Amino acid sequence: MAASFAAAGFFPKTNTPIKPAKNSFLDKPDVISLNSVPKPNKSDTKSSMKAQAQTLPKINGTNPGVKLPFENVLLEEPPEKMSSPFQTTSSKTFYNALPDWSVLLAAMMSYVFLAAEKQFTLSDWKPKRPEMLADAFGFGRMIQDGSVFRQTFPIRSYEIGADRTASIETLMNHLQETALNHVKIAGLLGDGFGATPEMSKRNLIWVVSRIQLLVEHYPSWGDVVEVDTWVGASGKNGMRRDWHVRDYKSGQTILRATSVWVMMNKETRRLAKMPEEVRAEIGPYFIERLAIRAEDAKKLPKAEKKDSSERFVREGLTPKWGDLDVNQHVNNVKYIGWILESAPISILEKHELASMTLEYRKECGRDSVLQSLTSVSSSADCTGEDGVRCEHLLKLESGSEIVKGYTEWRPKRIEEGNAGAFSGQSA
Amino acid sequence: MLRSHVAVPSGAAASPQFRRPSNAWRGPTVVTCTARSGRASVSSCSVTKEMEVAHLTDSEGARGEPTLGERLRLGSLLEDGLSYKESFVIRCYEVGVNKTATVETIANLLQEVGCNHAQSVGFSTDGFATTTTMRKLHLIWVTNRMHIEIYKYPAWGDVVEIETWCQSEGRIGTRRDWIIKDLSNGEVIGRATSKWVMMHQDTRKLQRVSDEVRDEYLVFCPRTPRFSFPEEDNASLKKIPKLDEPTENSRLGLVPRRADLDMNQHVNNVTYIGWVLESMPQDIIGTHELETITLEYRRECQHDDSVDSLTSAEFEGASENGSSNGVALSMQNPQHQFLHLLRLSGTGLEINRGRTVWRKLKGKKEKL
Repeated sequence: MAASFAAAGFFPKTNTPIKPAKNSFLDKPDVISLNSVPKPNKSDTKSSMKAQAQTLPKINGTNPGVKLPFENVLLEEPPEKMSSPFQTTSSKTFYNALPDWSVLLAAMMSYVFLAAEKQFTLSDWKPKRPEMLADAFGFGRMIQDGSVFRQTFPIRSYEIGADRTASIETLMNHLQETALNHVKIAGLLGDGFGATPEMSKRNLIWVVSRIQLLVEHYPSWGDVVEVDTWVGASGKNGMRRDWHVRDYKSGQTILRATSVWVMMNKETRRLAKMPEEVRAEIGPYFIERLAIRAEDAKKLPKAEKKDSSERFVREGLTPKWGDLDVNQHVNNVKYIGWILESAPISILEKHELASMTLEYRKECGRDSVLQSLTSVSSSADCTGEDGVRCEHLLKLESGSEIVKGYTEWRPKRIEEGNAGAFSGQSA
Repeated sequence: MLRSHVAVPSGAAASPQFRRPSNAWRGPTVVTCTARSGRASVSSCSVTKEMEVAHLTDSEGARGEPTLGERLRLGSLLEDGLSYKESFVIRCYEVGVNKTATVETIANLLQEVGCNHAQSVGFSTDGFATTTTMRKLHLIWVTNRMHIEIYKYPAWGDVVEIETWCQSEGRIGTRRDWIIKDLSNGEVIGRATSKWVMMHQDTRKLQRVSDEVRDEYLVFCPRTPRFSFPEEDNASLKKIPKLDEPTENSRLGLVPRRADLDMNQHVNNVTYIGWVLESMPQDIIGTHELETITLEYRRECQHDDSVDSLTSAEFEGASENGSSNGVALSMQNPQHQFLHLLRLSGTGLEINRGRTVWRKLKGKKEKL
């Protein structure tokens, strides 16, 4: 179910206790240099051995013999307090330092992060001054002393949907990409499930159980979005990952999202409590900042008593090859497309998705045949008078529920820019 | 034929812009290019600080860091203005079961860079990339043929650099070519070429490319023919025969999803690739990767159509009907080759024909 999303767990990979003290190795800006880290511990599998052997991170799988044009990409303009320039030789992308995707297990290099716990609410957030070229290729970087990860995405033409704005699938793909890159850039990318060493020892993996998002504005072709993501605690046994997406140029919020992850035993497929050892690994990285504050959380749709509402069904949905992730499970984001398949076209054409809650129940793979059901109700307390509220269910034809969803829609705003072409210079 | 917004550059901007190298775009004299909302227009040079939209402006001078800016330029016309280059990072959700970018991702990127090329030389940004004359005459570009060869698939986090250009092809068409390189080492990892024809938007009838239109875009094309497949008798030219039925494999009743529609409410070109692959035999898909795909577009598909996808193995010079001795013959041929057909479910009318060539994935045993 959440194979791809699950890697969004964010865990250190070291046995050395992480000191939340400030300025522990703050002579470097947010992207951590390889040189300053302790070696990874040996209790891991062969991948860490491989990783240790790779002192020179590779780009695109090859060792760069010469300085490549975009090596500096990972650098970001150091915040004011940092003085020394970042050493470029070790700042190469380590994404491709791993020779084989399938042997990615707990991190090859451990980093000591500065992970002070901070109380953030959105109102405290001040946009930084414009980043320079550091994130040109969109690899993303750590900000705020390593507690938040930021990445920008230009909206590409094929990410635009039939209504001429970025589709919700595009936006959710960005969330997924930043989650994985966050884990990667922290050197914590696990075996695709984002498991920490302590979790792997116990055959535990992360699975997403719920995602909620509030969309304020949909970007158009050519816009650039900036995504911030971070993690926090969720109850005693879960983890929360939040995102805040803004228009890069204007700073206007595009969407805010929060997700809840729980631990599951890979073999038995049963939910598990968080072992103390895992808590020790990941706890220091949790911050309390919330993407969706309490007052906004009221806008999130949830289950409601269905009286008389129209129902729509779409049957015989099957995953295509392109829908599967590296684990041959259907990518999380594809579910949204299917959920919306049964939404009546009259809603899709005139409304845009304002908020959504998704509850993931079960995973499905290539051979599944699904049904998508939608119940529509226009209740008075929707967003605005013309708002529409829907309840969705994606289930196997054999009966098991895969995803339950609740959506709220608002009438589309006609924006000048969306009409494209002949609108000339638009805002 | 399909309408698509990947098309040929048109000379919406007057040619004097191109005397200088890519710096030319910084002049405010570019006339008719249309800006999309939120995006820097080519007529303003000082707007963008962000690299991500730098394919419209040369970042040189915009930030005072020429070296980095030049090197990190994501997409821009090359110095002579005759081709366009852009780099892309492969994102995690663009990677498929083989842990490498899917062919749909590659096709999407080709489409994107084609769009951006068109946009950078000042074409319409409504998705049709038409010249001024074309718009007057209600003409649009449609894809006729597409041929993609991939030698090495990029993985998540890799950066690919795609260069694209276009030129006229015969009397009725134009072609757009691409070269895909791995940015880290300059290795060519793929090539592609496509052929386009003009069609009247309303009558859907084909039209010859008039000299007027041709002049509008010729200024942006290489002066001497340049092909991504320069070799003679290359695979991109091979005819694709119609499949004999019954075919070995089929997948019926494929329907466009809303996500398959492009911004002009037509089934996106790339969706057809996904449909073609749907009827590939499972054992090939699991153990091989697509090396070449050629598609001939014959008819458009509307959002409410239902499509059948048919596949049969193809054997060079051997029996036309690939069904009976398929397995025995294919074992001798390490590169598997297939013919495809997409047709409307109800009427059986052809939507497109295709050919794919597959090579074995390293380390995978072939299932018999």
